Amino acid sequence: MSAATIEPPPGPNVERVPLILNERRLSWVTDRISGIVEDRTPFWWWVAFLVTSPIALIGLFCIGYQISTGVGVWGENIPVGWAWDITNFVFWIGIGHAGTLISAILFLTRQRWRTSINRASEAMTLFAVICAGIFPGIHVGRFWMAWFLAPVPNQYGIWPNFRSPLLWDVFAVSTYFTVSVLFWYTGLVPDLATLRDRATSRVRKFFYGLFALGWRGSNRQWRHYEMAYLLLAGLSTPLVLSVHSVVSFDFATSVVPGWHTTIFPPYFVAGAIFGGFAMVLTILLPARAIYKLHDVITPQHVDKMCKIILLTGSIVGYAYSMEFFIAWYGGNAFEKAAFLNRAFGPYKLYYWTMISCNVLSPQIFWFKYCRHNVFIVYFVCMCVNAGMWFERFVIIVTSLAQDFLPSAWHVYHPTWVEIWTFVGTFGIFLSLFLIFMRYLPMIAMSEVKIVSPFADPHHHPPGAQEETHH
Amino acid sequence: MQPEVFDSKHAGIPYLILAATGVAGIVGCVIGAMMDGRQLAFSWLFAFIYFFTLCAGCLFWILVHHATDAAWSVLVRRVLENVASLIPVCFLGIIPVLIYAPFLFHWWNLAPGEDPLLDAKRGYLNHTFFIVRTLLYFFILSGVALVLKRLSTRQDGDGNTWNSVYMRKIAVAGIPLFALSLTFGAFDWLMGLDYHWFSTMWGVYIFAGAAGSSMSLLVLLVTGLRRKGYLSCVTMEHYHIMGKLMLAFCVFWAYIGFSQYMLIWYADMPEETSYFLRRNVASWNALSIFLVCGRFFIPFPLLLLQGLKKNPKHLCMVAGWIVFMQAVDMYIIVMPMLHQRGFRPHILDLCTLAAIGSVLGLLFLKGLGKYNLIPLRDPRLKESLELTN
Repeated sequence: MSAATIEPPPGPNVERVPLILNERRLSWVTDRISGIVEDRTPFWWWVAFLVTSPIALIGLFCIGYQISTGVGVWGENIPVGWAWDITNFVFWIGIGHAGTLISAILFLTRQRWRTSINRASEAMTLFAVICAGIFPGIHVGRFWMAWFLAPVPNQYGIWPNFRSPLLWDVFAVSTYFTVSVLFWYTGLVPDLATLRDRATSRVRKFFYGLFALGWRGSNRQWRHYEMAYLLLAGLSTPLVLSVHSVVSFDFATSVVPGWHTTIFPPYFVAGAIFGGFAMVLTILLPARAIYKLHDVITPQHVDKMCKIILLTGSIVGYAYSMEFFIAWYGGNAFEKAAFLNRAFGPYKLYYWTMISCNVLSPQIFWFKYCRHNVFIVYFVCMCVNAGMWFERFVIIVTSLAQDFLPSAWHVYHPTWVEIWTFVGTFGIFLSLFLIFMRYLPMIAMSEVKIVSPFADPHHHPPGAQEETHH
Repeated sequence: MQPEVFDSKHAGIPYLILAATGVAGIVGCVIGAMMDGRQLAFSWLFAFIYFFTLCAGCLFWILVHHATDAAWSVLVRRVLENVASLIPVCFLGIIPVLIYAPFLFHWWNLAPGEDPLLDAKRGYLNHTFFIVRTLLYFFILSGVALVLKRLSTRQDGDGNTWNSVYMRKIAVAGIPLFALSLTFGAFDWLMGLDYHWFSTMWGVYIFAGAAGSSMSLLVLLVTGLRRKGYLSCVTMEHYHIMGKLMLAFCVFWAYIGFSQYMLIWYADMPEETSYFLRRNVASWNALSIFLVCGRFFIPFPLLLLQGLKKNPKHLCMVAGWIVFMQAVDMYIIVMPMLHQRGFRPHILDLCTLAAIGSVLGLLFLKGLGKYNLIPLRDPRLKESLELTN
């Protein structure tokens, strides 16, 4: 059938929109992304870094103060033995989920749009896991004994309790971090080689060359690279599910009302992806605006991420409803009391903030207009970021503050040390991200080029045909 | 592409086999009703829930297809639509469940005041609301399935892309409705068998089994049609994707099943452990272990192999096994409530399976012949034809 006889079908145009807009050539991708690293450090970067790094230092000071003085500088006290520390741990580890989801699961499901956002998300994952890792270490009180968490042979023959989900957490998080670093680094190799080849100073050439591992872009190297990438994606996929499932076991294996419920593992995983995507957008939207990357991180990408936020937010809403329904249906008086207490007790403000931010605010993404308005998207993402912190606080603190024994009930309030430690982790997270933006390509150039229309040998850019006729 | 319509008038032997087993099954059920109503009630519920989960799972895949604007599944979508459109007929199977509800659901017979635990949840577990909910699930799931099939077949005629847009919108709105219907259906018909027991994971568990087994059913149906000379455009690439989804949901089922079991085992609270204690006694324990091995440990390593996923014959063997294991799963959920001392197979288990399965099978074959086997004018058809993994 000749092209002339094909008529477009009636109805709206449902052709797929290209993942790279404005017919940007492959060289444009290289120049624009490499330029972020190669150009002089912009003024705004110094301003941002001079704001985030002191905050990080305040956080580090608080950690030092707490370690040297004791856990008493925090507001935690029996029965609330876990509060901001574990809330922050779960909050950060959750944020660390989107990166590997985007790089592994979306890779395995052949979601080509992931290429524009995977590198920054993976970096974000690593920095979030670093922030998360701080809290379990310092909350044990005697920080110098934290090595007891690892099953290291010792002269006393003391081993960690292998039946404890807290130990599983140590394994799960450290495995996740290790594999995420490997995955991130493997993806970086071809781009590091690009930066090496473009380097104008010997220092840059040396360091990028060192980490590019002698990449030349040969056929054989690409074959090995793609096999390694696929295997790492396959290995990372169960880790995305397992890490937050194990975190949920920390609570769900107990018999504490509000903690012990069977839906916790998938509910936590959905919540982690939800919070993680919100944080990806929180970081990428300003970066896109500053570096004018609208042709690479297109409205289509934002739209898809908003849909994932809507989906996972609704799954989280489903889980909240199931918990509430079964607390009533199960007929367990303690369970029922725990949930009523969450909604109408001393922490009701936290609870309703959680519901509004996590369940209600993403519902606005049912409307295309809202998914395409960056201000609305940004606002919802900030709500989700806050909501997911509140969720962990509600789960952890409300269940502990009012447990089985009313005489032990205690309303928990954080101290300035806890607050500033948490704020400090934002400083650490953002400072690390700013450093990452300066020294490494924040968008996977080689992968973006693969999904560009120009990677297709049959692609005819507008005007190309006329040129060949002449 | 040429239109392909299944020649249902000359389906011959499959028709005869289905008709024969259907008649035998129905006669068996009628005799069973006179001899042992209680056994029939449980066997019927088992067969009903088995076929319901398969049909509902197919609806889930259609919803996902439209909501994600997927292309690969265009070629096999009509088969899914034909299975999902059996949901209204499948729901007729709930009528005997309602008739035999006093046998099935202990709470059905209890008067107020007899059990304080039941009194606490009377607002949910009462006769009227139970029937109203069942009707709601019927209207929601049937409505979504039929409307999506109607739009899809209408597109075969007019080729209008508005149909695709409408289908996408309906599918997106259908996902939460589907999730709630399946969850509360699972609560009512299965969790309600022991009204003391509860698990927030229950809806997700039933969904995990339904989604994985219906993808396996799709593989079987597509291969059957290919053997008869239809759907030759379905390539190894499509099989590869279907196999990958089977693998994903094989793992997902195990993940959900393990999480539910492990958390209940670990906390060891009597109100929760009752479910597994009932299924971990005598020969039920052997069947439970068989379920774990057969539903996960056997198909999982096989489905990891790329060569197997691209070989229709081998993939069909695994798919057939998973569809069988879904029946075992539903059996272990329903039957221990009747035979508490151990696994006791009964001829009525087969009769009910034959009765419901044959009627659905006959209607499926008849439905296949009404429309093209491929949504010929779907805007993503070309992408599906050119699929590479």
